[in-house]
Amino acid sequence: MKKNDLLTPEGTRDLLFNESIARRTIEEKLRHLFENYGYSEVITPGLEFYDVFTLKTRYFPQESMYKLSDAKGRLMVLRPDSTMPIARLAATRLRDEIFPMKLFYNQNIFRINPKNSGRDDEITQSGIEIIGGDAKRADIEVLSLAVEALKACAVDDYRIEIGDSAFFRVLILSVTDDEDEVEEVRGYIENKNYPELRSSLAKYNVSKEVKALEVLPTLFGGKEVFEKAEEIFSGTSAADLLHDFKQVYDILCSLGVKDKVSVDLGMVQKANYYTGIIFRGYISGYGMAVLSGGRYDTIIGDFGSSLPATGFAVNVNAAANVFLKNNGTQLAKHSEVLVYADENALEQGFAYCKKLNDEGIFAEYSINCSLEEAKEYALKKGIDKVEVIRKNGEKTEISL
Amino acid sequence: MSECNLRIALTKGRLEKDTVNLFESLGFDVTALKEKGRKLILPVHGQNIDVVLAKAADVIAYVEHGVCDLGVVGKDTIMEHGGKYFEIADLGFGKCKFALAGRKGYDFYKGYDVKTVASKYTNVARAFFESKGMDVDIVKIEGSVELAPLLGLADGIVDIVETGTTLKENGLEVYEDVADVSARLIVNTVSMKLKKEKIDNLVSMIESKIRR
Repeated sequence: MKKNDLLTPEGTRDLLFNESIARRTIEEKLRHLFENYGYSEVITPGLEFYDVFTLKTRYFPQESMYKLSDAKGRLMVLRPDSTMPIARLAATRLRDEIFPMKLFYNQNIFRINPKNSGRDDEITQSGIEIIGGDAKRADIEVLSLAVEALKACAVDDYRIEIGDSAFFRVLILSVTDDEDEVEEVRGYIENKNYPELRSSLAKYNVSKEVKALEVLPTLFGGKEVFEKAEEIFSGTSAADLLHDFKQVYDILCSLGVKDKVSVDLGMVQKANYYTGIIFRGYISGYGMAVLSGGRYDTIIGDFGSSLPATGFAVNVNAAANVFLKNNGTQLAKHSEVLVYADENALEQGFAYCKKLNDEGIFAEYSINCSLEEAKEYALKKGIDKVEVIRKNGEKTEISL
Repeated sequence: MSECNLRIALTKGRLEKDTVNLFESLGFDVTALKEKGRKLILPVHGQNIDVVLAKAADVIAYVEHGVCDLGVVGKDTIMEHGGKYFEIADLGFGKCKFALAGRKGYDFYKGYDVKTVASKYTNVARAFFESKGMDVDIVKIEGSVELAPLLGLADGIVDIVETGTTLKENGLEVYEDVADVSARLIVNTVSMKLKKEKIDNLVSMIESKIRR
């Protein structure tokens, strides 16, 4: 028995009417923002070689990628992210272009989520990448634009949170360089799993660094975090980093979004992807980060052309859902007039409909079989007026 | 999500009772929780807290998706279901352990044949043997897992062991401990940031109680 022909695969959906409008609205707002700030759009293929996502980074677990093979049997994936293809692009076709380079994209990514988790496997992401240039200036720009992007998505209730993956890296490297041990501690810090972190760190000799790692995930919040961090990091190699990091934080605060900025020094990502400042954006009404990004100075180098870079992506699906919730049902445009042409005035009818549209009136050409049906259709669709066109050019207006 | 109230999902049953006792010891008004009838969402008066009662795995789903800010759930469920949330405190109650067990006197690791393991917690069992680099066949059993080795379906089981009485009475024994289990306080990753103050207050109250 066939039944899959009636369904969409788990994690995908058909977007209808208002849902589509909400999605496009967010996309347009972001496109407008990025273009204004001098970003150029790139579109990369939906299909990429598997190898693009399995460089040294190992960031994409293979069980999370949709795979298929090409005519030669080579392994392909539906792109699980846009940053890696853009890094590939920067190291190849764009190699001789003008740097620093500002790029943006708006395209779908595909990821296999656990079964029955209610998450989207196909997500529209809109984002930017800044390739090359001065790190501090780029960090400030990327963070400021992230704030603007959040503003464009949510009316006012949003939050941006910044961290720096370097804190964890320098601290853990003075404790251990065993990959598995690093990953274990990183996981506990990422999940703010205080009890497991404590017991996991207990096996190392007591040092300032171990102590700092233990409190690292608790170092989140507002400005007060810096005082605490200064005390805890003093005498460790993380102390110098803190100074630079605070500078970026202060600049971001001074841009007038102070109460919207928070820090989380315990924000850690999988090793070998982000190398510097990382950040996430939240909007109320969505239980996960709606924006995420950071500095990735080594990825383009993996493709053979060493260039620093930073960027972020917005989960447009999530932002559009929140937008739809907040902006109700009045998104779709309604036709104002339904033009019904008499049997022997079909052309005149369409010509009249076109004339109205040219004048800026939303007019719809009726394709109903009779005037009765046209009236019924207009009533159901909430169109207030039916205009009937007859052969001699005679016009009758019926208000419903 | 209500803007002002914290919503906490509790695992129905023993963890629920232990948490209600914990709240009571903190001086919270738990009358609504004790006389709940069939209600599933209950207020803690005077604390701006709503309590939601759910099955263990559902606590994780509610917290992960952010419709509940916090949750009390066993480490067993966390290990089996995974997910993205903060696991910020070990509440110290609901203690037991995961163990590999089987027929008394049988040497589980002997021989070259691929062993069969029965468990209700297939992900926990799989992760345990993966960490040993050992291939095993895993069979999911919903009810009394102890039956599987007795009936000859499996060489061993991975299951929760509290006192070990059930094992003993059925001629089984623990071969190896897999992991310790206790109740954990989990927090939605966005709530942790957007409702930091409220959550910090509650958590430090709870911690001051359980550390003692």
